[in-house]
Amino acid sequence: MGIDLRIAGVSKHFGEFQALKGIDLDIEQGSFVCLLGPSGCGKTTLLRIIAGFERASAGQLLLNGSDISAVPPHKRDFGMVFQSLALFPHMSVAENIAYGLKFRGVTGVKRDDRVAELLDVISLPAIADRPVSSLSGGQRQRVAIARALAVQPRLFLLDEPLSALDAQLRDAMQIELRQLQQQFGVTTILVTHDQTEAMMLADKLVVMKGGEVCQQGAPQEIYSQPATAFTAQFLGASNILDAIASDQGIVQLFGADTVFSTEEAPGTALKLSVRAENVILDRAPHPSGGPCAEVEFIRNLGASTEILVKNGATTVRVRLSSRDSILRTLAIGERVALQFDPEGCVVFRADAD
Amino acid sequence: MPAHEQTLQSLMRHQSAARVRRWRPDSALWLLCLPALLIITPFLVACLYMLRFSVSADTGSINGFSLQAYAELAQPYFLRSLWLTLKLAASSTVIVLMLAVPLAMVIVTTRSASWRRLMTVVVLLPMILNLLIQSYGWILLLGPAGVINTTLLQLGMVERPLILLFNEKGVLLGLVQTSLPLAVFPLMSSMRAVSQEYLEAASGLGASHWRSFVDITLPLLKPGLIGAGSIVFAFNASAFAVPLLLGGRRVRMLGLAIRDMISPLFNWSGAAAGGMVLILIITLVLVLSTWLVSRSDVRGGS
Repeated sequence: MGIDLRIAGVSKHFGEFQALKGIDLDIEQGSFVCLLGPSGCGKTTLLRIIAGFERASAGQLLLNGSDISAVPPHKRDFGMVFQSLALFPHMSVAENIAYGLKFRGVTGVKRDDRVAELLDVISLPAIADRPVSSLSGGQRQRVAIARALAVQPRLFLLDEPLSALDAQLRDAMQIELRQLQQQFGVTTILVTHDQTEAMMLADKLVVMKGGEVCQQGAPQEIYSQPATAFTAQFLGASNILDAIASDQGIVQLFGADTVFSTEEAPGTALKLSVRAENVILDRAPHPSGGPCAEVEFIRNLGASTEILVKNGATTVRVRLSSRDSILRTLAIGERVALQFDPEGCVVFRADAD
Repeated sequence: MPAHEQTLQSLMRHQSAARVRRWRPDSALWLLCLPALLIITPFLVACLYMLRFSVSADTGSINGFSLQAYAELAQPYFLRSLWLTLKLAASSTVIVLMLAVPLAMVIVTTRSASWRRLMTVVVLLPMILNLLIQSYGWILLLGPAGVINTTLLQLGMVERPLILLFNEKGVLLGLVQTSLPLAVFPLMSSMRAVSQEYLEAASGLGASHWRSFVDITLPLLKPGLIGAGSIVFAFNASAFAVPLLLGGRRVRMLGLAIRDMISPLFNWSGAAAGGMVLILIITLVLVLSTWLVSRSDVRGGS
């Protein structure tokens, strides 16, 4: 598949503050790209530059090879869904969806057909004449998406569109949004700070921090191979533990050898990123040695059980299957040995960012 | 049932149930409104007094009943004055709204807080200054011996001073200038409801600046436009100082006409009737605009 949009060296200054620091990004035709990062990382600014609501201080936007940096937003032919949705309050649902059509010469019966078609697509065929203020959160959401898609945009842009919905509805909308995107085959860029949402939707994940891209790639790849402790933490790794490289090239945690080896020089400060579900608890002392900790908290959540274990000032979060045999006798205050499933663990230099 | 009766009843219920004398917050609130109501009362009494005077059979005192004063208003002298008032109030309202909308938009959307404050103060200034001072300012600028005429004469561009004041245009100018802040402030508050994202959404869908102004900003500003418009209309229809000073008695708006009935003519009942007509017109405009606003609210569904 070809490159649809190329973002080349885009920077943005707001006075003294540099919101974006030379972003390079290729968006492939028909792909679903999620810009993921904490608030203030520049993801929304980047989306607004793509939409044309902000001008980049430097760099280029190349759409199919031609520079669109200076094209005003109303000539870019993109569809955008705003965080606030920005449905026009003085118009009905149908008028909202039809708004972009009149600038494309779609009028009369054709326009009505297109509106009906979109209301069908978002499974709300009967609300055309309702004022938008009478809609529920989920319905508004769908109408905003329909309004943006009605114009058959070259790019479909979404700025945290689901953040206002409650968890259950958000989950359903994520699946629906992904299906819609596939159905329309439209190149899509979505901004979010929610890693589950990003994992759920994206073909390509772009993790941002401090105005820079930290890592980009397939969601599964970033999930299992985060390049930095920041990315690991942002993608839901619950434990980022201070470790150290030993003389034998072994990663030491709590002063004991782990199963991980490292190529860093002895004494280098490291960080070990471990997901709660990748920690295995065993009776201490363990025949193979290894780090130990004391059980501090146990809570059965049904399918899984959350356990906090503590060594010194460091707490490690552990998630076991509730059927794990150790849970039958595990008690608070007990000493346990920590084993790690190497699949879900990544070792970083502590000074890497 | 009026709110205060409900309050009273619930108060009585409350007392009989608990047998304790206690102030309910809403009755305390009524009490706090009392001074304001007392201040408004003389005005209402004066209105009623005027109404009574307007149907008096005698022009100089309240005596008997007659519609003579109203019948006498149907003279070219008063009708011209009425027409002039409506014309000037309406045209100044339209002009003020056209000037105030861009001002309100700029002030609300300016990002720098200090610029925003500065612009607000500049717009507000005429409200702090006395109308007399503002009108004399115009005379100093535009009068026969004013800055503009003196300059033009000295440059030899005109042979006689231009008549820029003491005609309808001069009065219109004064009305527009003095009532502009009255329109800018209500428009600013309704402009705040026009989220920047609505305009961005419209522009993202293909609307030019002008289209999004017509399709989004104006309809959303409608309640503000109607509110500001009726305030300006009411203010300018009852203008007195501006036509007196800038019209030089040649532009006889209703306020002046009524004053003339009192002062040289001692036609008190005629003046009262004229006043009632003025009040009626303004009330009609306010009722109409309230109705328009409530209708646009229903359409918005909120």
